[in-house]
Amino acid sequence: MVLVQPNQESACSEGTRAVVECRQLTKVYKKLLARRTRTVCALREVSLSVHRGQIVGLIGPNGAGKSTLLNLIAGLILPTEGAVTVCGHPARSVRARDGLGYMPEHPAFLGGYSARATLQYHGALLGLSREAIARQVDKSVQQLQMQEFIDRPCCDFSQGMKQRLALATALMNDPQLLLLDEPSNGLDPVGIIQLRDLLKQLRQAGTAIVISSHRLGELEKLTSDYIFMHRGRIITLADQAATGQAGRLRVELVSNGRHVAEALLPASQVLEVSDTELVIAVNDPADVPDIVANLAKGGARITSVLWQKEDIEEVFVRLCQERT
Amino acid sequence: MRAYELIKETFLRRGYIWMVHAIWLALYGLFWWLFIPDEEEFGRFLFTWSGFFLPLALSAGVFGDDIASGRICVLVTKPFWSGQLYIYRLLGLSLQAAVHLLLAAGLIGILHALMRRGSLEGLGLWLLASWLLFNTCAALSTSLSVVVGRAYNSLVLFVVIATGYVVVNLLTSLLRQHASAGTFMSFIKYPWPPFELLSKFAGGEHEEYGLTVARFGLVKSIGCVLHSLMLTAAYGVIGIILLSRRQFSCMRD
Repeated sequence: MVLVQPNQESACSEGTRAVVECRQLTKVYKKLLARRTRTVCALREVSLSVHRGQIVGLIGPNGAGKSTLLNLIAGLILPTEGAVTVCGHPARSVRARDGLGYMPEHPAFLGGYSARATLQYHGALLGLSREAIARQVDKSVQQLQMQEFIDRPCCDFSQGMKQRLALATALMNDPQLLLLDEPSNGLDPVGIIQLRDLLKQLRQAGTAIVISSHRLGELEKLTSDYIFMHRGRIITLADQAATGQAGRLRVELVSNGRHVAEALLPASQVLEVSDTELVIAVNDPADVPDIVANLAKGGARITSVLWQKEDIEEVFVRLCQERT
Repeated sequence: MRAYELIKETFLRRGYIWMVHAIWLALYGLFWWLFIPDEEEFGRFLFTWSGFFLPLALSAGVFGDDIASGRICVLVTKPFWSGQLYIYRLLGLSLQAAVHLLLAAGLIGILHALMRRGSLEGLGLWLLASWLLFNTCAALSTSLSVVVGRAYNSLVLFVVIATGYVVVNLLTSLLRQHASAGTFMSFIKYPWPPFELLSKFAGGEHEEYGLTVARFGLVKSIGCVLHSLMLTAAYGVIGIILLSRRQFSCMRD
């Protein structure tokens, strides 16, 4: 798992060195000369580490602090307290940026530049040679299907084209850490599948990827490592219910559903009940056979049983409701 | 490659920049053709338009545009010192001004040859003074662009300098008889773009000095050039510090 408890040392040997390490990060936004009551604490004592070949989904409601965390890792803002290292170097340092690829939520380009000129420009800023830039441009065109618009000016681009170009610029230096903010915005279904395949390839190549996204279904297809954020804090994942194990058991009965529920199940576990159907919350799928056996033993006449694993959207909604 | 791309970007970042150069060159030509100015009149015209108004037009939003669009967030995550971003952009503006002034000299040279009137004497000094003034104004405007959004840096600078010019002139006339007026005026005058010093450097104070560069004292000439270069450097350092320290937030939850 990605979380590091506060004051706990994470592995830092050469083989397992974390690509990103955040220690006790706190970020308070305060306007110049503003009163104390008008300060906003966007992040509170957040500690985490992300390792090579790991894809981490950053999820949470609006204002949870996801973007602040991404900004801090990218070195765009400074923490009020705590420290961030990228590839072992302070986040804002040139050496940290050397291994960083960053794609913002709303990518912007010089309107007069074509996609090719934009990639060449970013390659030059990265300090690549002409040959390396040409190689990377060809690779990006192939990987991100940019053949159709590579020589068109950026001012004519659709959102999907901009997203592809932004991802291509972020990948120009073959980064060790890729920070993506809503990468699938504006992409068509084929584009989303291509993006997913590309990110999986990058993970296999050892790139650490942090994605902030509201498309939870998409994230679920990429990774099982999530950071749930709420009001500037990471919600602890020690709770098994939050780690993707939890689910619901839908039991269909001939009759007497209400009576069976009252007699055999704790009220907190029963989510829905009718005479012919019970929906039971289950934290661990290993408990399902015992629950079914107990129901049968107690006289329930079961016609069918369906196990439904809680998906990431349900976990997200549940955690948000619990926290508010 | 990095320097080349950042310098090139200062010319290509907005579609109207080539038009600014063309319009300014046309203005010089028209002024020469219509008014048949003497060397000082033309020098002052060139000095004002290329030394003050040109940097305002070329540096409008030089960082403010990137900050407003969010492009800056990608630029500052690239693996190089943020100061380089500033230095190469200022260098880009300065090189544009140098080429612009050479083109202006060529244009006036052609007009002079065709019309056989006016004088080109002293034009070189006016060109140098204009370029030095351009650099100080461009550095000030570029530094301001790090903290002022969009293209407002040029507008703010124009208003501040125009107001400052009026205030300084008022104070000069009011404090003329006062004993400490000289020190006070120097304190006000020297930290700002050297309009007066450079125009004196180019225009000259006739027969005042024995050892001269063209028409101005050698020591004073060197002093003027050094002063403008130091001001450019000082404004630049302020801009680099602001850019290095500034936090950029481009993402919304």
